Amino acid sequence: MKPVTGRPRGDHLLYRVVWLGALLLLMLGFAIAAILVWGTVKFVIDHGLNPSLLGTIYQPTHDQFGLLPFIAGSLVVTMIAIVVALPLALSVAVTVIATLPRQMQMIRQILSGLVAIPSVVFGWWGLSLLVPSIRWISGRPGFSLLAGGLVLAIMILPTLSLLSINALDRVSVRWVEGSLALGATPDQTLGRLILSVSRIPLLEASILAVGRALGETMAVQMVIGGRVLLPHGLLSPGATLTTQLLTDISLLPPGIPGHYVLDFMALLLLVAMYGMVVLVERTRRWSL
Amino acid sequence: MRGQTWHRLALVGAVLVFTLFIAMIGDLVWQSLGVLSWHFLWSPPSEMGHGGIGPELLNTLVMVGIAALISLPLGLAGAIFRVEYRGAPGFLKVFDRVRFTFLSLPTIVIGLLVYQWVVVELGWPLSIRSGIVALVVMNWPFVVNIGIEALSGVPDTSREASMALGATSSQTLMRIVFPSALPALIAGLGVSTARLLGESAALIFTAGINVAVHWSWSMPGETLAVHLWYLRTESLAPHANAEAAATGVVLLGLVALVLYLTQKIAHWLKPRDYSRKSA
Repeated sequence: MKPVTGRPRGDHLLYRVVWLGALLLLMLGFAIAAILVWGTVKFVIDHGLNPSLLGTIYQPTHDQFGLLPFIAGSLVVTMIAIVVALPLALSVAVTVIATLPRQMQMIRQILSGLVAIPSVVFGWWGLSLLVPSIRWISGRPGFSLLAGGLVLAIMILPTLSLLSINALDRVSVRWVEGSLALGATPDQTLGRLILSVSRIPLLEASILAVGRALGETMAVQMVIGGRVLLPHGLLSPGATLTTQLLTDISLLPPGIPGHYVLDFMALLLLVAMYGMVVLVERTRRWSL
Repeated sequence: MRGQTWHRLALVGAVLVFTLFIAMIGDLVWQSLGVLSWHFLWSPPSEMGHGGIGPELLNTLVMVGIAALISLPLGLAGAIFRVEYRGAPGFLKVFDRVRFTFLSLPTIVIGLLVYQWVVVELGWPLSIRSGIVALVVMNWPFVVNIGIEALSGVPDTSREASMALGATSSQTLMRIVFPSALPALIAGLGVSTARLLGESAALIFTAGINVAVHWSWSMPGETLAVHLWYLRTESLAPHANAEAAATGVVLLGLVALVLYLTQKIAHWLKPRDYSRKSA
């Protein structure tokens, strides 16, 4: 009998279609990067390699493009979010793993429901409770980097808790039993075994959460105050790369000189996200 | 038992987290009680107070529904290629990096790009159709991810058994792989639809922040999430906060409904006993 070579007709068609789908996604991804690079090139053509980019004065209609306040704002807000959210998420994960293992499935479902809460709802909550509380405690306006960071912390909590539960759940029960049988207290088992062996998955979870916090726009924009000066303290209002993009798309429509600084800001965000993707790839390699 | 200090601290933290979320949702519902009514659900918004969210509700359902339908085949094709055909290792690496970067891209960047290229270059109006484009671009990599996870959940032994019986690869895909991956796929699509329902940053400059008197593809189409943002930041209407809360409650209700229904369907489709099914 002659061996069948090549693909039957239906298979070939299917192959072509799904190949095209994959290719289209790749092309769209590259097109996004290309458009942002092209916008940045146009910015350089219009304004030269503007030294003010590294400064702190942002007046795009007057050739002043200091992006430092926004970069600082993004970093500070993300930092607050992860520093506040990580211990809380870890306590949820530890409680679920060690204290309530039978309710794990239910708690996972609740958490994945909470992940789906739209970010504007967090923004609403920040405005109606967080900002007034900060105003009341500090006597300042309340719209601040701190408010932005706390809103983000609450927003990434469900995601981070879910990922932490998954990370801790991977630790073998036998190891835990072995540790307890050797006379280690539950606390010692937790610190020296469970958390210690899952530190790389936890790092990966944190990177994903940082990515989500860095890219969030609406919830932060509602509570951060939108001031374009370099913030001098957690309680002072500020802006992040994403919130400034939101504000400036309407203030600097295409055609107005300075519009392409927005493409540059978006490119910075794209590069940051790419960096995080590569970082996650690296951590996966370490954990093997 | 001794030596459980950290466990107790963790318990306190966990209780704190859940109290926080219960308080947050409770606060939202509590503040919305004054305005939430059938009238609010159906009537058009008004800056004078006593408006509603009727058009926003319609826009949200139409835009999210159509965007989800368009991005489904697009995303599935990429996922099938990635899982079933793979391609060269170098290609896989590039493909994965592009898809993860694309997936984590802030949605405001997608809003900026669609604004620059669809609204300004192509001259489409700030409208429902431009908004759908933004939602499709945003949802595409997410659906690819869902597809990849669902398809990889099917064990290779099923594929090998099917091929060994003489099925072609398309028959294997359609009759073996798809049916087994369907529950995971539907649950994942529910999550992606919930994500679309809550999207606002990509829509402000593509679909606009107001609604037209007469519904049309080429007219501005504010969604519920955008309306909530607008009410709470720009609007001067009286009771804007309560109306925003009520919009939030409706939005959360929609999200919960989509998640619940898709999980139910996924659960219902999950095969239980193969031996009883006749071939």
